[in-house]
Amino acid sequence: MSEPKVKLGGQSGLRRLWNGPNFRWNLFLLMLITAECVVFGMKNAKFLSLPRIFASANGDLTFWYVSIFVTFVMITGGIDIQSCSIVGLTSIIIGVAWQDFGMNIWVAAALAVAVSVACGALSGFFVAYCGVQAMVVTLGGSFLYSGLGLLVSTLSSTEAYKGISGFPGSFKALTKIKVFGLIPLQMIIFLVLLLAAYLLLHRSKYGRKVFLVGVNPSAAEYSGVNSRWITMSTYILSGLAAGITGVVMTSQLGTAKSDLGGNFTMTIITACVLGGTLSTGGKGSAIGTALAAISITLLRFGMPLCFGINKQYLDIPIGVLLVVVVVGRAVVSNPTVAAWVGKLRGKGKEAKAGA
Amino acid sequence: MNAVKKFVKAREFTSFLFLVALFLIVGAINPAFLKLDNISACFNSSVVYTLIAVGMAFAIFIGEIDVSVGSTMGLSAAVAGTMIQGGANWLLAFAVAILIGVAVGLVNGWGVAVMKIPSLIFTLGTNGILRGLMYLQVGVEQVNSLPKEFKDMSSKTLVGSFTIYYCCAVLLTIGIHFLLTRTKRGRWFIAVGDNAGGAELVGIPATRTKVTAYLICGVLSAAAGIIFASRIGIVTSLSGNGYEMKAVAACVLGGISLSGGVGSVIGAGIGAVIMASISYLLVFMGFSSNYDNAITGVILITIVVADALMQRRAAVNNRHARLAARTSAAPAGKEAAEQ
Repeated sequence: MSEPKVKLGGQSGLRRLWNGPNFRWNLFLLMLITAECVVFGMKNAKFLSLPRIFASANGDLTFWYVSIFVTFVMITGGIDIQSCSIVGLTSIIIGVAWQDFGMNIWVAAALAVAVSVACGALSGFFVAYCGVQAMVVTLGGSFLYSGLGLLVSTLSSTEAYKGISGFPGSFKALTKIKVFGLIPLQMIIFLVLLLAAYLLLHRSKYGRKVFLVGVNPSAAEYSGVNSRWITMSTYILSGLAAGITGVVMTSQLGTAKSDLGGNFTMTIITACVLGGTLSTGGKGSAIGTALAAISITLLRFGMPLCFGINKQYLDIPIGVLLVVVVVGRAVVSNPTVAAWVGKLRGKGKEAKAGA
Repeated sequence: MNAVKKFVKAREFTSFLFLVALFLIVGAINPAFLKLDNISACFNSSVVYTLIAVGMAFAIFIGEIDVSVGSTMGLSAAVAGTMIQGGANWLLAFAVAILIGVAVGLVNGWGVAVMKIPSLIFTLGTNGILRGLMYLQVGVEQVNSLPKEFKDMSSKTLVGSFTIYYCCAVLLTIGIHFLLTRTKRGRWFIAVGDNAGGAELVGIPATRTKVTAYLICGVLSAAAGIIFASRIGIVTSLSGNGYEMKAVAACVLGGISLSGGVGSVIGAGIGAVIMASISYLLVFMGFSSNYDNAITGVILITIVVADALMQRRAAVNNRHARLAARTSAAPAGKEAAEQ
């Protein structure tokens, strides 16, 4: 968004790609992923097995799916810290509706996704139409929806901590499908969600409006964009993603629990920020977030496997990564440093021209 | 009279009324609740929240946020707990814990104020690092054999049935409130939060003020950690998890605006009592603790939405009043212009 687009006409396709808003950052993330693969792979060859990586990714689905759509929310200048609660709520609704109300499992799943959309819409309404800070509303939402999840679980004859299991085979088989006998369906769903997010955000009118609302909501309003609806819709999308996550996770584990979403809130925000999303809004990309999510999962998987680091310590490398990246970006975008780099480049060009 | 009016109009007064109403409603449903012991228990159990919420209030005053308070608290509780368990001098353990708070506050302040990194992101990063360090400190075991005298400290009362800890927290909060409202340097925090650029222009060192705010936030969280260890008696590697969100909720309930520059630490203290009381009140209303989160969420959302709507209404009314004043002041000129 922020790059000047004036000179684009005279540039070749490759050059244009290079100067695209997110390309260089995404390239950096790809390099990070490659570096992780190389380092972990050299340390322990077991790391480089796709089935293992996929299996570890299945545990991190929450932030893989949700963070792509939380990116939308953050681009509008908001934040969403309620998604994990919605994942749990969705899961327990499937369980209770199926076991205790005798619904068809697919109807129950559809109902649960509808509830998750409603949860997103409710918070989005408060943010967009009542003008309450997004952080506060979604903080309240995270309490409310996890609380509702607990209450729904008390409707069941099964005790809450055990979780509801014994789902029909067809529901559980959903996530046992492996395309080409290798890629689990969860990854295909991830790619589909990513493609949908990419098209919505970077290739549609809707996406341009999302960015415009993030850059300057008043300007968006004056140019005829219904900025309130756009803001609310991003929360609906993130609620929908949380709902889908809830269904997939329930199918994958074969158990419905109200705390299924786990405590991935901070990881979701980390994935968005690491993916190049500006927390103040107006900048971000779906692909960047997805690449960041992948690199975090590789880190979470590789550290214990290759360096024997206890899983509980994983917050340290992820925290360090986040701090290093944001400090690094702040230093690079600092005007003094940028001017210095520019001067160096200029000198380099002069030298070339002279030669 | 003027002072009374000002007091009644203050945002934290609404929170206080809400707290009283909450107690009265529960008392109406279950009269057994309205005893000094029960009410003081609500206040006493809020001491950890109070300290963190007051610290968080500083971060919010300057228009930023600090989500690393929970793990700062946990780390200080873990370190102080391990030292006291190992027979170290208590004062030394407290000093080390407070030093941790100072270090965390300085790092956060550096990242946010000097490097100008969005506070949510930077403190999120430090939160992860601190949480990891805490795992390193506590490991899979727990700090669970704290000496009895240390744990007994938490039940010693000072005034009536209020514990020493709570009385200290109240005195500290009132002291900070007076420093913030009555001294020049204290006013800087609100000024920077209200308008950082303007504050800089009138000669307030905005960067230094922000670092100080984070420093205070870190120190208060570390102090909360010591009290947490003494009150609960057990520190696990998960202690303090989620306290940052409870602290933000307490501040919001106490009338502090997350956009900065509005509110008082007294409000944060009252909000902390509301947060701590909810689970206690539910017991008296005959609900199970399963309702805890749902009710917290409903109260939080209701309060902030009502507040936002009232503020918007006040803004619209103000605009109408201004417009009316302008049109009535110059009706002749307007008519002339129309002709």
